[in-house]
Parts: sequence; C-alpha cells; structure tokens
Amino acid sequence: MDLDRSSSLHARARAFVDAFERGEAAPDFDELACELARYQADHAPGFARLCRARGVEPSALSRAEDVPAVPTDAFKLTRVATFDEAVTQVTFRTSGTTVGARGAHAMRDASTYEAAALAFGRHWLARDFDRPVPVVVLGPSPAAAPDSSLGHMCASFVRAFGEAAPSEETWLVAGDVLDLGTFDARVATALAKGQPMLVLATSFALVHLLDAVGDATFELPAGSRVMQTGGFKGKSREVAADELRTELARIFAIDERSIVAEYGMTELSSQFYERTLFDPAARHGTYAEPPWARVVPVDPESLAPVPEGEVGIAKIVDLMNVDSAVAILTQDRVRRLPGTEGFELLGRAPGAPPRGCSIAIDELLGRA
Amino acid sequence: MERSVETRIAEVRAVALAARAVVDRRDELTAAIVESTGLSAAGVELALTRHLELDASDAELRRLVAQAGDASRVAVILSANVFVGALRAVAIARAASADVVVRPSRRDPTFARALVEAASDPAIRLDEGLDVARVEEGEIHVYGHDATIADIRARLRPNVRLVGHGSGMGVAWITRGADLAVSARGLAEDVVAFDQRGCLSPRIALVEEGTTRTSSRADAFAEALHGELERFGIEIPRGPLPAEERAASDRYVATMTYACRALVGTQHAIGIAPPGAPMVPCPAYRHVHVAACTTEDDALALLEPLARSIVAFGSDDEASARRLAPKWARVSALGRMQRPRLDGPVDLRGGAA
Repeated sequence: MDLDRSSSLHARARAFVDAFERGEAAPDFDELACELARYQADHAPGFARLCRARGVEPSALSRAEDVPAVPTDAFKLTRVATFDEAVTQVTFRTSGTTVGARGAHAMRDASTYEAAALAFGRHWLARDFDRPVPVVVLGPSPAAAPDSSLGHMCASFVRAFGEAAPSEETWLVAGDVLDLGTFDARVATALAKGQPMLVLATSFALVHLLDAVGDATFELPAGSRVMQTGGFKGKSREVAADELRTELARIFAIDERSIVAEYGMTELSSQFYERTLFDPAARHGTYAEPPWARVVPVDPESLAPVPEGEVGIAKIVDLMNVDSAVAILTQDRVRRLPGTEGFELLGRAPGAPPRGCSIAIDELLGRA
Repeated sequence: MERSVETRIAEVRAVALAARAVVDRRDELTAAIVESTGLSAAGVELALTRHLELDASDAELRRLVAQAGDASRVAVILSANVFVGALRAVAIARAASADVVVRPSRRDPTFARALVEAASDPAIRLDEGLDVARVEEGEIHVYGHDATIADIRARLRPNVRLVGHGSGMGVAWITRGADLAVSARGLAEDVVAFDQRGCLSPRIALVEEGTTRTSSRADAFAEALHGELERFGIEIPRGPLPAEERAASDRYVATMTYACRALVGTQHAIGIAPPGAPMVPCPAYRHVHVAACTTEDDALALLEPLARSIVAFGSDDEASARRLAPKWARVSALGRMQRPRLDGPVDLRGGAA
C-alpha cells in the first residue's frame, strides 16, 4: 500500500470533477488512466497477473483503451483493491445471485466517488433547481441496505439537492413494499408549496407503483423529474423500458423526457445518465459519460474496440476507481453511434447460449 | 394388453442391441454426427465406443423398467449434445409404453434415426415434425434445456403428462486420501466426453486440503488435470468452439487470472479459486473450476447454493461423495461420471408435471 501515491491519484481524479463543475477542459484522460493502471499493477497482484497474461507492460501504457479490463466477476471471487482491509472506509456489494456470490467493491476514500456522483448527478438531474427541493427515494434506505452503492448515492443526492435531511419520509421502500401513503403525503405537501420534486427510484419500485395506481394518476408538481435505475431482479414483474416510461409519465403527469434513466454498477465509481431532461435532441436509451469515464464497446472475444455503430460489450474506463480497477469489463451490450454523444445501452449480453442439457452459467447464477 | 416386466426388459434389451448395431456401422454415420454435434470425429468415436450403455445387466434393466412407469403412449423429444442419450431415452420410453414416437433433435437426428431404424420395432417410430401441442394422451419425455422444457410444458394438452430431463452439471470431489494423478486422469475422461456439454459433465472440482484453508493440493490437482487435459486434447480434440463460447472462456480465464490462477491449455482451461471464495461457475467446453476446501462440511457449504443443478457427483471416495451429493445426484467413481448404468434416467431430480 502506498497511501501517498493513492492520495495523489485521488487528487488528480478529483481535478476532473472540479474542472467539470467549473466548466473547464478536463485534464489528460489517457495519462491518468495509465498512471492508475501502473499503480494498480504495483499494488493489486491480480491486476499485475492480468497484465502479464494480456502481454501488457504497465510502464509502457500510453492509451486508456490498452489498459486490461477486469471482469466484473472478479469482484465476486476476490478483493479488488490496492490497499489493506484495515483502511477500508466503505464496501459496496452487488445484489446476490442464486449461487450466493456477491461482488464487493471496497473503497479507501469514498469522497472521490461522492464528488463525482454528485457533480454528474446534479448536471443531468438537478442543474436547473435554484433551491433545494423535496427528494424521495423509491428504494430501500441505507439502514436497510447498508452496503448498497445506489443507496449511498441516493443519500448523497438527498443531502445535496434536498430541502431536508434524509428522514423516515425520504426512503419509501421497506422490505420491497412501497409506502404509497407517505409518498402521497410528500407529493401533497410539494403541490401545496408549488415545489418540483426529485424522485429517485429503482425500476422494481416503479413497477410496484404502476401496479398500485392502476388506471388512476399520481400527479407530481410541475417541474418534477424521476431518476430510474436498476433492473427488476425478480422483485417485480418485468416491464419494457418504453412501456414503463410511458406509464410513469401518464401517472405522474410529467413529460416522458423528465424520466431519466441512470446506468451504474457497484464495481464502478461513476454513473451515466440519459440526457433527455436538458438536451432536446437527446433520445432515451442513450447515455452521457462524464469526462472522467469512458464506455468503449469491445468485441467480446478479442476485447478490441468495435467500429463505431457496431454493438460490443462495455469496457468501462473509470478514473474514479482509483484504488480498485480503472478498467472494468461488463456484460452489458453497448453501441456508439456516429455523430452522437454518449452510448446506447442495449441490455445485458446473454452469455453463451444454453445448449441441450449442459447448464448455462446464466442459469446457475439465476440471471437467465 | 398389460405387458409383463420380463417382456418390457426384453423389449428394452432389444433397443440396446439395436444401439450396438448402430455402433457397428459407425463409419457410415460419424461424419454426419460430427457435422451436427460439433464434436470432433474422435469425440464421436469416444462417445459411441465408451459412453453408450450396451451391456446392461438384467438387474439394471429391471430398475429401469420399474422407474419408467406405464403410459399409453410416450413421445420422446431429444436434445443434441449428448447424442448417445437417445438410447436411454428410447429405452425408458419403450419400457413405459408399447407406443413410442421419437422426435430427434434438429441439430442431431443421425444417431436417433439410426437407432430407431436398427430397432425395427413396430412400437417405436420416428416423427421429425411432431408437434407437442397435438399430442392427445400419454406422456412427453423432454430431454434438453430448461427453457425448452418450460416452452413445451406451456403448450401441452391438459391430459398429457410431461417428464422433463433438464440442464445440469457434475461435481468432482477429490478427498484428502486421493491419488491426485489418478483422480486427475479420471476427471479428465469425464470432462472430455461430449466436450463437457452434458448434464453429467463435471464443471467443478472440490479438493479436500486438510485442516487449514490453503490450496496446495488444489494447485497440485489442477496441474495434474492440466496435463491430462492437454494429453486428451491431442488424442480426442475438442470440436470447434463457437464464438460466444470463446468469449465466455476468455472472460472466465481473465476472471480467474485476476482472482487467483488460471491454467490455459490448447483446448481447455482450469481456474483455481482463491481459498474460501464462493463458487463462480465456469463455461462448458473443457473448463474446470478447482476450489480447495478443508472438510466435507466446508464442501457442503460451498455447494449448497448450486445443489439443485448438480446431477452427477464423481469422487475417488464414493462413500464420502454420498455424504456430500444431493440425494438425487448419481454418484460414481471418477472416470465413470459419463458412463451411468442403463438403469433409469440420468437426471434423477424428478421432472414430472
């Protein structure tokens, strides 16, 4: 462990966030990505092994796209960290699978993660608010899910954008049950005061809302917006993204463009957002990247970037992953379109298809 | 007319004899089976000569008949990977009924067609266009992926019973007393058969270490297995790896390289898990996930989340294996996991509905 070097890299990562918030040009992405890769190769033996296996000499790296990506499954099997467990500040965990393997992402200094999350969240969800607003979270509270990175991020948003500190009336899902009564009361208060609301919601909670409200409406104050994130994870029926958005817009009496999807994962420290709230040309399904993270569609076999317009799996270079893995290999399918900012998210790669009676990995993991 | 047990045994034995006739003319069939299954020619030869149950005893056939039950009619829907599985499927159907119709897999019709032809039994016929929704009575025996079974279940008429034989995998248990070289040789045989694409194919090897959670024996076992699989790669080459399987293999190898260690062969890969890590399953096509455990209890805890998927359990110590294996799993010696007796279905989890 080299705390000075880590702290220095955190400072360089935060410089990206500072520059973004000031509207200035970002520092050199490739330079920091390669420096992080060198640091991680020095202090994470697994990453050093991966570099050797890929024939990559960290000291010779000059481009972010050449940094070997750590598959997200590695977070389930071992500690992906450059520092001793004793100095861990927070550990986020993925939701479980049927085989019981949960990925863990340990952080030595979560302030870098929080600064990045707040800056980009504010930019795509709340930049037009001239004062704090009522914020509700249709998801479990940090007390109920203390190792959820989403819960941690939502708590940060409540503190940063909310008119009141997080309270029992902020978190409206308990035991997968939506507290519609409290939600209704919060909305009534906001309507009476003419305040727009920020609703931070998991997809499964939104489906529970649809099912509870039915053909009725649940009108939000003008100017309100909804951040929708995560999958259904067997906690609700599955609803297609378009259908969910259309129904939510009807129920909440808001424009569909005010329903903004967020894409993130426990193994990352950065998030990505649909730009529909502030960019009239933006489409749903296309996500903006912060200047400190790049999503590169790669060929699933060669791991080489695919040509623009072609679908690949997402290799994500995240400069906020200072002490874990700067490059992550996901199983999500993405595409970059010519002349378009950001990337399209096309769902999870299905993995090797099941054939005959040989069980597929997805079946074993309960994610088929 | 009610058929006696002895009659049924004789009828099943006739099916096994037909299979022997098919093996005898394998030179005519191998190219087509290679084409349809994706196995190498040597892999097809291995399957036909080592993994087809041709010498069942009367006692085994008696057990098969007892388990088969009784049906007015049985429609058999076959899967492709373990193409010789058609023998067991047809044998069970014939034991159950005097009216059997077989729908071969579209991906591998060759062996099933040859078997039905060789049987020359008026009670068994092929129907390659069989529509399960039009089956009016009796049972449908489906061999294949769970999604296929679910799809067929949804289309059945109400008075038709479905018996599903779904997807699964095998686990190897290498005890503290095992000779690692011998166990590795046996497990390699089980992995190589059908390119590890059957529901009995071992995908995980648990190695008992001793009282401390190290991985020295697991490492040594993995090295021995690596050598055996390399040797098999020359003798019995793996069939071509589809693109998505190559991607799954690369991802698994990268994961294990980061997490602990991966041994990558010409046609196989072995991942060695860090001590105490949860199970992360590996792909098929000659991949083995090797994990160390301290005791039987430790192994049980590691396997518990996967138990429902475990169809076969191989070990150097079958008594120890029986204490660990789910009650429905077939327990055998290493090297025999892919050669179950012809005494009933290979998948004993029970799939009737």
